[in-house]
Amino acid sequence: MYLGLKEMRHEKLRYSLLSGVLLLIALVVFMLAGLANGLSNGNREAIDNWQATDVYLNQNTNETLSASQLKLADQKYIKGDQVTPLATLSGTLRTDKNRHKTTISALATSRNSFIMPKVNSGHRINGRNQLLISDSLKAEGYKLGQNVRLGTTKRTVKIVGTYTSSTYMISPTIYTDIATLNRLKDMPVTSGNQQTINGFVTKNGRFSHSSHGSLQHLTMTTFINKLPGYSAEQLTLDTMIYFLFAIALAIIGIFMFVLTLQKQALFGVLKVQGIGTKHILAALLTQSVAMSVIGIVIGLGITVGLAQIMPAGLPFVINWGQFGLYSLALLAAAVIGALLSWRTVANIDPAVAIG
Amino acid sequence: MTAVLALQQINKQFGHGHTAVTALKDANFEVSAGQFVAIIGPSGSGKSTFLTIAAGLQTPTSGQVLLNGTELATQSEKARLAYRFNEIGFILQSSNLIPFLTVTEQLKLVDKMSKRPFQKERAQTLLHELALSEVATAYPNELSGGERQRVAIVRALYNDPSVILADEPTASLDTPRSIDVVNRLAKEAHQHNKAIVMVTHDQRLIGNCDVVYKIEDGVMTKQ
Repeated sequence: MYLGLKEMRHEKLRYSLLSGVLLLIALVVFMLAGLANGLSNGNREAIDNWQATDVYLNQNTNETLSASQLKLADQKYIKGDQVTPLATLSGTLRTDKNRHKTTISALATSRNSFIMPKVNSGHRINGRNQLLISDSLKAEGYKLGQNVRLGTTKRTVKIVGTYTSSTYMISPTIYTDIATLNRLKDMPVTSGNQQTINGFVTKNGRFSHSSHGSLQHLTMTTFINKLPGYSAEQLTLDTMIYFLFAIALAIIGIFMFVLTLQKQALFGVLKVQGIGTKHILAALLTQSVAMSVIGIVIGLGITVGLAQIMPAGLPFVINWGQFGLYSLALLAAAVIGALLSWRTVANIDPAVAIG
Repeated sequence: MTAVLALQQINKQFGHGHTAVTALKDANFEVSAGQFVAIIGPSGSGKSTFLTIAAGLQTPTSGQVLLNGTELATQSEKARLAYRFNEIGFILQSSNLIPFLTVTEQLKLVDKMSKRPFQKERAQTLLHELALSEVATAYPNELSGGERQRVAIVRALYNDPSVILADEPTASLDTPRSIDVVNRLAKEAHQHNKAIVMVTHDQRLIGNCDVVYKIEDGVMTKQ
């Protein structure tokens, strides 16, 4: 401890530069993690809000909600707490004369479904052709009571309420009922249990019979991982982060090794005087831990600072549990990196210091 | 008077067969507390080998090294490390100071390693004795060669070792400073009742020594 810290204080430039390198690595790790969280959140925020556990889709689709087609009547095959139908449409929300135009994810379910969001202003859907919009859309200029269109159809729907912002597939969500969505999609059947939907959502779901039509069961985790592009996106960013841990380890390892080689004569003198490998390694460990703690703390500070001034369009979410875990991983990389010089230190022959 | 450090019938060979080189041949040596002993010889005579064996850094091919009556060769590596730390003080050719510690911190380090509080008074007394009070907060690179070797003496004495081994302590110094350093070593040996062994090739420096050994081609003779 004493040796390691004293040396850092004396060799400020050398060790601040190395701390700086670690800071940059930590910063990139945290930024990538924040962006990965942001993208992930953008894809699944609405789903997470449902707090559901199971999804049922048509088995002839590649576990993709938008490609799955079922009938409302298929609900008879499913048992579970609050089985609820789900239909989606990815489209453009626009006002009269296209004054406002926004790409949205429309989600439709039964009016009193548990996945229907809690209304912040206005009222719940209680009639035909009504729409709830995410608060973020309200901030964009959409108003309660306004008649809006979805996609290219001429049919209008009325905004009757807003709820706490959520996104699905990186777009802000809107909620409506199944019949309204089917009308907007120009579906032939817009009432009764022969209406087309995309899937069912439930908690603790199971099939009621061994034969269950063309239905397929997915856990929520599988469902989310199968969202188009979701896994690829997360895997790409996570891989970059894991590589950065390896790079941090390599950098610390190489720096500590080079410094050790430079200081062989000094370490020889220390060993002659009875200050052994254990103490020298402790000094190296102290230094690499101190440098990475400095790098991580400043990196975290800068990340939090940058998050405040980031443009709203950039998906960025700080997850403190995950950031803590990544900090520990960087710290572990630093410790392992320093320990890589163990053999070199152990092999220094104190006899070289004499004669 | 019992010997603090004794080497008995030491032989040291490097290599095997007809390429073998004998660095020390039947060497006998001893030093007692309060004695200032010089070992003089030209370079390549086996002086360094003698020192490394005396310090337990190398094991002899045959013979015994006794430090306070305990045989060093039979000790574990760890025990020898502790022995070197506690019982032997070193003064090396060029300075054995740590470049990033001030003069006082070099001494503090010894206490840190022994896990005891800094012995401030002892440090001040020793620094004063060797005329180093003025430079107590200086780093080694801010000191003159003579000052550095004096700090090395303080560093060696500070841990109160049984024996101090000095390897050409005046190699980087001019004559007046060399004589000053050697005089101080002699004074410390007599005043603090320390066993001090100095290895040198310089005939002019042995005037103050109690015993002089001459070493040539691995053969040690007491003068």
